[in-house]
Amino acid sequence: MNRSTWNTNLITALSVLILLGIWQIGAVLLDAGVILPTPGTTFSALASVVQQKPFSLNILATVARALQSFLIIFLVGGLLGILSGYSRSLHAFLVPLLVICKATPVMSVILLAFIWFTSGTVPLFSAFLMGFPVMFIQVEQGVKLISPRLHEMTVAYGFTPLRRLIHLVIPSLAPSIITGAKASLSMVWKVVIAAEVLTVPRYGVGSRMQMAQVNLETAEVLAWTLIAILLTAAGDLIFLSLLEVPRKLRERRSKLLEAIR
Amino acid sequence: MILKNLSKRYLVSGEYLPVLDDFTLSIEPGTITALVGPSGCGKTTLLRLIGELEQPDEGELVKSVEERGPLSYLFQEPRLLPWHSVLHNVELVMRPWYPEKEERIARARDFLTMVGLSDFTTFKPDQLSGGMRQRVAIARAFAYPGHMLLLDEPFQSLDTNLRWALVNAFLKLWNAEKRTTIYVTHDVPEALLMADTVIRLSSRPMRILENHTIGTPREERSLGSPEFLALQARFYT
Repeated sequence: MNRSTWNTNLITALSVLILLGIWQIGAVLLDAGVILPTPGTTFSALASVVQQKPFSLNILATVARALQSFLIIFLVGGLLGILSGYSRSLHAFLVPLLVICKATPVMSVILLAFIWFTSGTVPLFSAFLMGFPVMFIQVEQGVKLISPRLHEMTVAYGFTPLRRLIHLVIPSLAPSIITGAKASLSMVWKVVIAAEVLTVPRYGVGSRMQMAQVNLETAEVLAWTLIAILLTAAGDLIFLSLLEVPRKLRERRSKLLEAIR
Repeated sequence: MILKNLSKRYLVSGEYLPVLDDFTLSIEPGTITALVGPSGCGKTTLLRLIGELEQPDEGELVKSVEERGPLSYLFQEPRLLPWHSVLHNVELVMRPWYPEKEERIARARDFLTMVGLSDFTTFKPDQLSGGMRQRVAIARAFAYPGHMLLLDEPFQSLDTNLRWALVNAFLKLWNAEKRTTIYVTHDVPEALLMADTVIRLSSRPMRILENHTIGTPREERSLGSPEFLALQARFYT
C-alpha cells in the first residue's frame, strides 16, 4: 500500500470514528435507548440478529428480490433505451410513463402496488418502476453519443443490424450501461427494503426492521439498517469486481500469448 | 460508371442550397479519377452519392457490371472501432464475404503486412499514431472486396512525409488490383501524381471546369517537370 492510499484510508477511518463518537455522545446525552441506543448496544443487537435462525433466509429473500428487480430493469431499461434512442416515435410514446415513474413518490407506488399485488411482488414491482427510468435514460442518452462517423463506416461497409449492435452499439453504450446499472442497483436496494417495511412479507430485511420497530427495539432497527448498508456496499463491490473480469481475462490472455511466443 | 444529370440540394435555414445541379460525369473502369476543387464545393456529397450513403434528388448513377456490389470507403479519418484490435478491425468488415475465419485472418494479415503493420496486429487503434491508424484504414479498404474504392481526402490531416508514404502504400496496393477509384482531394500535386484523370471542379453548385487525362505513367511523373509545373499552374488558377 503506497503512502497516499494509506493516508486516504486513515482519513476515512478517522471520519468513521468521528461519526461513531457523535453517535455515542448523542446517545449518552439523550440517555434513552428506545430513541437512540449507543453504538455498543447496536453492535450487540447486530450480533444477536446475525445469530437468529432465519437470518440467512431474511437476507436471501431481500437479495433475491433486489437481484430479480435489477435484472428486469437492466434488460427492459437497456433494450427500450436502445430502441428509444433510435426511434423518436417510441421516445414520444414512453415520455408519459417516464414522467409518471420519475414524479410519483416511492411510497405512493408501494402503497398502490400493495393494493394490487401480493406482499412478495410489491418490492419487485416498486423497484422496477423506480429503477427503470434511471437505466432507460442513461442508455437512451448513450445512443445519442454513438459516433455518427463510426455509424456511417458500418453503413459503408455493409454491417447487418445485428453486427452493428454487437460491434458498435453495445461497446459504445458500455459506459452508459454501467452508469445506469450502478445507479439503478443502488436504488433497487432502497426501494426493495422500503417496500418490505410497508408490506411485511414473511422474510426480508425490511420485514425484520418493521417488526423491530413495532416492538420498539430501536437497536435492532439500527442493526438491520447496518445490514442493509452492508448489503448495498457488497452489491456495489461485486458489481465493480464483475466489471473488472473482462479486463483481467484479456490481460491473462495476452500474457499467455506472450509466453507462447 | 456514368453519373447522369445528378442534382442534390440541402435545406439550410429554410432555404434550399443547391450543391449539385444537373451534374454529369463519365468514369473509366479500373482507373483512378481525382476530383479536385475548393472546400465545400460538393466533392464529398458527390462521393457520398456514388457510395450510396445518400440518394440524389434527381438524376441517376449507371454502374458497369464490375463496379456493382460492395464498395470500399476511405474516409478523412481512419474510423476504426476503438475497442477492437487492428487485425479485428480489418477482419470484421470481410465477414460476409469470407466466411472461413482462417482465410479472413490470413487476408487481413496480408494487407496489414503490405502497409507495414504486421507487428501491430494486436494493438488497439489508440495505441497507434495517426499515420498508422490511417494505414489500418487503407488495409481495411483494400482487404474489403469492394468493387470500387471511394477516397474522401484520406491523407489530408497528415504531415507531408507521412502523406507521401501513405500515397505510396496506397498505390502499391492499387497496382496489385486495379479497382475503379474515385478520389476527392483539394491537393493538386497529390492528384497529379496519383490519378489517371484529374477533374477540376467549380465552387457550389459544382460544375466541371476541366477534365484532364494524364498520359504519363505514374512512375515517370515528376512535379518539377515542365508538363506538371504547367498543370499545377493551370489547376491552381
